Amino acid sequence: MLSIALWLVPFSGARAQVIGEGFELERSGQGEKAAELYFATLRADPTNLPALLGLERVLPLLNRLPEMLPYAQRAVAADSTRTDLQALLLRLYLILNEPDSARAMARRWTQARPGDEAPYREWAIALEDVAAYDAAREVLLDGRQALRRPAAFAIELGELYIRIGQWVPAAKEWGLAVTALPAQIPNAAAQLSEAPQETRGKITDALASGSASLESRRVAAELLLEWGDPARAWEIFAPTAASHTPENAYALHRFADLAAAPGTPAAWQVRGQALVRFAEIVPVQLAIRARSDAARAFLEAGDAASARAQLEYVAADSTAPSDAQDLAQATLIGALIKQGQLDSAALRLAHVAHDLPDSTRSALRFELARARIRQGQLALAESALANDSSVAALALYSRIALYQGDLARARSLIRQAGPYTGDRHEATERAALLALIARIPDARAPELGSALLELAQGDSSGAVKALKSAADHLPPEAGGAEALLFAGRVAAQLGDKSRTPAASLFEEAMKRGGQGSAPPAAELAWAELLIRQGKNPEAIQHLEHLILTYPGSAVVPEARRQLELAKGAIPKS
Amino acid sequence: MKRRDFVERLSRVAAAVVLGPGVHRSARPTSLAGQLLIPMDDAQGNHLKAYGVAYRVVQAGQTVEWLINYRGGSFLLNDGDAVRREAALAGVQFTPVGPENVSAIRGEIEGTNADSVTLEKAPKVAVYVPPNALPWDDAVTMALQYAGIPFQKVWDHEVLGGGLAGCDWLHLHHEDFTGQYSKFYLIYGGEPWLAEMVRMNTQAAHQLGFATVPDLKKAVARGIREFVRNGGFLFAMCTATETIDLALAAEHVDIAAAFADGTPVDPNADEKLDWSQTFAFTGGHIEPNPQIASFSDIDGHQVNNPGRRQPLGAFKLFNFSAKIDPVPTMLVQNHRQIIPDFYGLTSSFLRTRLKPSVIVLADEEGAPWVKYIHGDLGNGTWTFFGGHDPEDPQHQIGDPPTDLSLHPHSPGYRLILNNVLFPAAKKRELKT
Repeated sequence: MLSIALWLVPFSGARAQVIGEGFELERSGQGEKAAELYFATLRADPTNLPALLGLERVLPLLNRLPEMLPYAQRAVAADSTRTDLQALLLRLYLILNEPDSARAMARRWTQARPGDEAPYREWAIALEDVAAYDAAREVLLDGRQALRRPAAFAIELGELYIRIGQWVPAAKEWGLAVTALPAQIPNAAAQLSEAPQETRGKITDALASGSASLESRRVAAELLLEWGDPARAWEIFAPTAASHTPENAYALHRFADLAAAPGTPAAWQVRGQALVRFAEIVPVQLAIRARSDAARAFLEAGDAASARAQLEYVAADSTAPSDAQDLAQATLIGALIKQGQLDSAALRLAHVAHDLPDSTRSALRFELARARIRQGQLALAESALANDSSVAALALYSRIALYQGDLARARSLIRQAGPYTGDRHEATERAALLALIARIPDARAPELGSALLELAQGDSSGAVKALKSAADHLPPEAGGAEALLFAGRVAAQLGDKSRTPAASLFEEAMKRGGQGSAPPAAELAWAELLIRQGKNPEAIQHLEHLILTYPGSAVVPEARRQLELAKGAIPKS
Repeated sequence: MKRRDFVERLSRVAAAVVLGPGVHRSARPTSLAGQLLIPMDDAQGNHLKAYGVAYRVVQAGQTVEWLINYRGGSFLLNDGDAVRREAALAGVQFTPVGPENVSAIRGEIEGTNADSVTLEKAPKVAVYVPPNALPWDDAVTMALQYAGIPFQKVWDHEVLGGGLAGCDWLHLHHEDFTGQYSKFYLIYGGEPWLAEMVRMNTQAAHQLGFATVPDLKKAVARGIREFVRNGGFLFAMCTATETIDLALAAEHVDIAAAFADGTPVDPNADEKLDWSQTFAFTGGHIEPNPQIASFSDIDGHQVNNPGRRQPLGAFKLFNFSAKIDPVPTMLVQNHRQIIPDFYGLTSSFLRTRLKPSVIVLADEEGAPWVKYIHGDLGNGTWTFFGGHDPEDPQHQIGDPPTDLSLHPHSPGYRLILNNVLFPAAKKRELKT
């Protein structure tokens, strides 16, 4: 026995080396030499599959595929039990356009292996490879009948129907497939998800019809989630996961995970619902985490009441671990702020502040302060910050000072906060505000502060009017032009909703700005507005005027880039 | 202006050329109103736009002096409000120069390896692309678009229908003249853009009376060769460089895989290729494997051939004698001599596959390949530049287009624009 093993090892190694050499010859484009090497290998070892596959690759390129047939026949004759050799010969017959030989061989094969799916499967695959889809379908259906297994070849048929664009039959086959093999649910959903819009209703009907299995319905639910109908998805899915079983817990969690992807309020809502159901099934430790996640999902969906219900459930649970409690408290305060119940939020925050981690506590204080600002409660906003001296807090204090019209303090605080505090949007906005007030020598400008507060409160239209009024009370060279430019930018964002057209504000800023930086910036903003409105020729005139009139302005490089865009000289990014 | 016209005018000034290098300068602008120097060294604010300014001045009927090897290949032109305005809008730096400054510049040119070439007629530019092509997937059309140089699109119908007759300069980019759709067929099968490419090419082949797309592309390659022979200027990049020569060498040989024309590659194709028909290359071996998106062993980098792919390095522009070899000198004008390399389906050219007459303009030192080559054919010239996009070295299908406003000093793109301007040059006898 040992001697046989020792003899086989080097032989096997040599054989692999030969095949490797053939593959290298193929890669270097020496198909003829590779084919000769494979033929030589098969003369010594008729059932050598790598050599046969090598010939199958290389001979079509040399227009010599028929030469392979006797070798494939010899291989099958030498070992008729091997599925891979039978499949290769079958494939070869079909590629060489010998369908009768293929059929006869396939029939012999099925008769020799009664009850075996492999012959039918390989026959169908070979037919698909030569694009004989109808024949492939017939073979699979015949096989199903012969084997007397209603779900046999359901996966193959499902894939075949998709390949030929018959989506509803494909859905029915996938329904059968997942009923027999629930692990195929993700595969079924992935395969069917590419269906054209017009067929989707019929597909979900087929999968969720009255007699459909639980697994088939779940595929329908996953597809509906993917196709943007989460409410209907939950409607179909929920009855399939009513009982308290581990399988249903797993299915609920998967559904919840999938529902997180679309990011729409309706999807967040059903994610929350799935997590609540999941929490009812699983042990308490998992349930607490699930309820916290559900609360966040409800908050994203705008359903604060459902969120609070879950959070209060967690907060009241004395067995919950402290981190889960903290998370619940923080989320609950966040929910109160979101609902505008700022006094309740402030009370609860004061009550639990000492238990919360520093970062969570600060984040909630900032959130509360911002909400107070939005409600115009500037003094309460300041007290919400609780004498915090971090740069993030300084940035918020600067906003409060600005809205109170205390420009001197606002300027100082903005500089102290520095350019990097907060996210990019906040930092940019702060820089724009500093540019606006930097040219105003006065220590106080209550009218401007009120106008900016209106903007912070979301009344952009009112803010434009107020900013214009504030600008009229400022000398043009001492902030008046900058205020007009700022008002113009807000009006431009409002578009047609602005009662004061942005263009007129930009024009006025240009006229009144003198030698300052506002006129070129206003002209650039005006040109950008015109580009957005599709008025490129007018925008080009403004941009050219800007570049030629204010060659030293800092906005000239951006103006040149906008000019290229307006002229179509660079791609839109 | 075709090279033939150059030669005719050359005969008129031949005596002057024989007399000495300075005589041709009689065509210089003679305005006394002052001139503008557009520097092309590191003082320039937008190198690429500067070419557009020079082109449009010539297009408007004035002459421009291209001061080759002087401050990166600067331009000297007549001062005027219009040109100042255009330069200012484009961010192109310029310096007004009086007669004394101009004399000093000329003195420096006279005493160094520099020269002055007069640009006097804007070449009519054509780009070979399918009708539905956007300008953003082709470095040359992007450069032309950005510099503001007008061009017309031509495709198979125009090439075979005599539509190149009115053009001076033709650009080819990533067309696969072997008719194998860049061998993307097996990798990107099913992609809508590829299906559209196949549909358009097949339809064109049928409309123009060819049985297969490879047959059509071979005929187009021959049409382009005739354009050059008759005095046209050809500039090709990426796949077009290698495949146009393969298509010309394979006039009577099947080098296209079965997916392209229904028949396999002639197993003896290599032996049957006729390299006497090509522009630049000789002795190449075709890549018969349809699974490998490579065409032959002409390309040194083999970007889509996993076993043979070579890493990117940097290529170096050659120095030529400006006064003796003005054409190669014009083609390598730059403010950088060493430029980072970039891939394309054809990135470079093996030295061993170049015909002896080919002028190498840039290579990677120590590597077996070159990057940028030039030569004559009949009355015309051709230039091949390997790679796809100088500012997107690893370009992949589907990548966002390059925004040239972010690369106004691109030395790679400068090489493309040198090629656009050089046909505008008033011709002198070439020594190379």
